[in-house]
This record gives sequence, C-alpha cells and structure tokens, in this order.
Amino acid sequence: MKTIHPKITEVLTGTFKVPAHEVLPESTMDSLEMDSLAVAEFAVIIKETLGVDADSEKLYKDATLADISAYIDAAVGSAAAEATVPVSNTR
Amino acid sequence: MSLPADQGTEARAGTAVAVTGVGLVTPAGADEHSFWEGLCSGRSTARRIEELAGLPVDFACPVDGIDLDAAVGGRSVWRMARFVKLALVAARQAVADAGLDPARWDGARVGVVLGVGVGGVSVLVDNAAKLAASGPDAVSPLLVPMMIPNAAAGEVAIALKAGGPSLAPATACASGATAVAVARDLLLGGSCDVVVAGGAESVLTPLVVTAFARMGALSTRTGEPAAASRPFAADRDGFVIGEGAAMLVLEREEGVRARGGRTRALLTGAGSSTDAHHPTAPAPDGHGAQRAVRAALDQAGWAPGDVDHINAHGTSTPLNDAMETTLISRLFPHRPPVTAPKGVTGHTLAAAGAIEAVATVLTLERSAVPPIANLDALPDAFRLDCVTKEPRHQRVETALSHSFGFGGHNVALAFQRA
Repeated sequence: MKTIHPKITEVLTGTFKVPAHEVLPESTMDSLEMDSLAVAEFAVIIKETLGVDADSEKLYKDATLADISAYIDAAVGSAAAEATVPVSNTR
Repeated sequence: MSLPADQGTEARAGTAVAVTGVGLVTPAGADEHSFWEGLCSGRSTARRIEELAGLPVDFACPVDGIDLDAAVGGRSVWRMARFVKLALVAARQAVADAGLDPARWDGARVGVVLGVGVGGVSVLVDNAAKLAASGPDAVSPLLVPMMIPNAAAGEVAIALKAGGPSLAPATACASGATAVAVARDLLLGGSCDVVVAGGAESVLTPLVVTAFARMGALSTRTGEPAAASRPFAADRDGFVIGEGAAMLVLEREEGVRARGGRTRALLTGAGSSTDAHHPTAPAPDGHGAQRAVRAALDQAGWAPGDVDHINAHGTSTPLNDAMETTLISRLFPHRPPVTAPKGVTGHTLAAAGAIEAVATVLTLERSAVPPIANLDALPDAFRLDCVTKEPRHQRVETALSHSFGFGGHNVALAFQRA
C-alpha cells in the first residue's frame, strides 16, 4: 500500500493550507494547486527539515505524492545509513 | 457648518470623488466599529512585545485579536508577508462595505493603489540569516515576491480581480494618504471607475524597531509603554511604532449615483508637496506642509476658515508636533478642533494616512471628534484646540487629514460630509 511521508502531509496542510482530504497518494502538486514557486518552496522546506536535496522541477513538480514519499524515504534512509542527515524540525 | 450647501456643491463640481467603502485592521480594532470604539476610548494600544525584549525600545502597537491566516483564507496565505495579509483583509472589508462584488464588476476599470513604506523586511532578515548559516539552498524562492513593497497591491489586485492600474506609492509615513490622492487622480482622469486605495505596514521586528530607536525617532518611555505616544503633549519624546492597514473604496459621484450606491463622505481635495529640506526632519516653519494643505483647500474650493476639523499627523515626536502646531495655528486661527489618532494606534507608518482618512470619514458621519490619548497638558506655545479625554460631539461638515513622511513628503486630504 502506498503511503505518504508524514512530513509531506504536515507541510502541505500546515504551510500551504491544502485541505487534508486532498492529500492522497495519487495527488500531484498540480492537482493540489501548487504552482512552480510553491513547489520550489516545498523543496526548500523538505531540505531544511529532512535534509533531502531535490531539483523540485524534475522530482516534485509532476510526481505523485506517493512517488515523492518514496524518493524522500529512500534519500532519508541512505543518508541515515551514513548518519549525516541533519534532522531538525524548526519550521 | 462653514459652507453654504450650494457653494459647497458648486465648488466641488468635477473635483470631488466619493468614499463608498472603508476597511481597516489596526491596533485599535480589526474592523470599523471596534476601531472607532478604540479610538474614542482615548487609550493607547502600546504594549511590550516579546520579540523585542532586551532591546532599547521593547514596545509597540501591534494588531491583536484577529487570526490573519484564517481571515485571508484560501491556499495563497503562505506566500504573503504580514503586511500583505493586513492589506488584503482591509481591502475585502472596504469592497464589501461599498456593496461591490468583484465577481460582478468590470475588473479592467478597477484600480488598486496601496502605499507601503518598507515591505516584507522580516522575510528579508530571516533569509539573510539562512543564507549566512546554511548557504544558497536555504534561501526561499519566495523571498523576492514576498518582500517587495508592491506585493500588497499585487495580491489585492489578484483577490479583487482588479485589472486596472495598480501602484504602490512609497512616501514613507505619508504613503497611505498619497495612495488616496493618487486614487482621486485616477478617477478624475478617467482611468478607473473604482479605486481601492490605502496603505499597509508591518515591521515590528527587532531590526526595524531598533533602527528607528537608533535614529532617535521612538519614545523611550519603556517603563510606561501605554503613556509613550502622547501627540502634542509638552513631555512627548518620540513616536510609538505600530502596524496595520486601511483601505478605502473611491468612485466618481455620478458612478455611485448610477449604481445606486451609498456615499459615506466626499474627498473634495488632495494636495501634495515636498519640503526639499532634510531627509528626516520636517522644515520647522511648516511652509512645505502648508503648500500641500493650500493645494487641498484650493481643490476643495475652501478658504481656511471653512475647515471644521483637523485630523493631525501628530506623531508625538518633538519636531513633527512643533511644526504641525505652527502650521495649524498660522493657517487656521479660528481654532478648529484637532485630534491625533496616533496616541491610540501608534504610528503605523505607511498605513497611518489611510487609517486617519478612515477616522476622518467616521468623524464626519458620526459627528464626533475622538480624543488624543495621553494629552494632559499642551505646551504654552501651542495654541491648538486639541480634543482630550472624551470624544467631542459636534457636527463636522469639513475636515482635513494631514500626513507627512521621511523624505519631506506632505499630503493633505480634504473630506466633506456626504
């Protein structure tokens, strides 16, 4: 079953005021009315809070939330293995 | 009443525009009614601000009691700096008050003029810190669109589907009044049928408050914040910084009549001038400001003796209030009653001229002049009829609102009872 990383849900509903019921695995940023600047800001927050780097246009803009979750999980997992992830939750 | 009705009508023919709606979010109240109540209480809204703790000046007049994100609503709030949110809420109030519906108007004929002095400086400061600490990847891609002073005009235009001219005049503490003056020109020049105009500011940040303190502009009455803003008082020592927004809907009189709208007051004149004297200090004799007042009177077709009331700039700084007293007593020896809202609201910078324009409209409508907070004794040299302690209930047909800004900008708005 496809799941959404809790940070994605938190950022979309908290910062970007996306209604929780729209945050679904198959949703795309476009379907959530997230324009390119919003997606770029989303990427900055993910980098800041999870330490995951991404080219927002390539990796987030047209992907589903399930795809983005998988990417973030993998990035966090590999980084955690190297124990270099600065995980903060200051935002 | 100073003007025979027919004279007033004739004098303003072709030069007056109607105020049909007002909206505001201020330290004294986040809607027209609570604002008026707060203003008439004569009590300062200044209080200590947690974020300013430990700084030379640790108090200000903030906007409290409103959930701005909820009031703005929708999904775009994340991209708005606080001054934009304040402006948007005030603009929506004003348009609703005017009985207009952005879903139904011809947006191409609607203009937005929204004066801002500083803009989203806290966004800038936050991102400067992120750049220094974490490098370029930490800088928000929204920094530029959020901090630019015209962000408020742009977001209000989007929200109101206003596709006519939009401007963000920056004349420092006169910006809100400049916006109203520009709106009048856009209407009388035929560029717009409706203009939503006013000002907004929100810079109660450690850096900006400290910067004003360092230049000696702020009151340092830290032991007694609520007594610090005291326009025209002998022992005033500077202004108290505030935040807020106010917007007015302006239309040509014939347009209001044609749509069956309601006119709340008439803007009969708007004069602007520049001291050309000093970056921050007003020309002490007030002759620069007087040119703006004279221009507003000329447009309105009034002699100085026709003015029933003055809503002063009255910042509580030694220099402004001395200059303004010289100006008022020289030009208006008949001693019209004077009020200065900044005693209650603090100095909301670019928003002040618009907030005080709304206060002047309310005075005309409600036949009451609000008192000046904290004014116990005028210096002997001041020969003004300042309203103190309680609102003064009297019919007011004509009123002027003064606004002056760093840079030497002077604006006078002439309003007449509808």
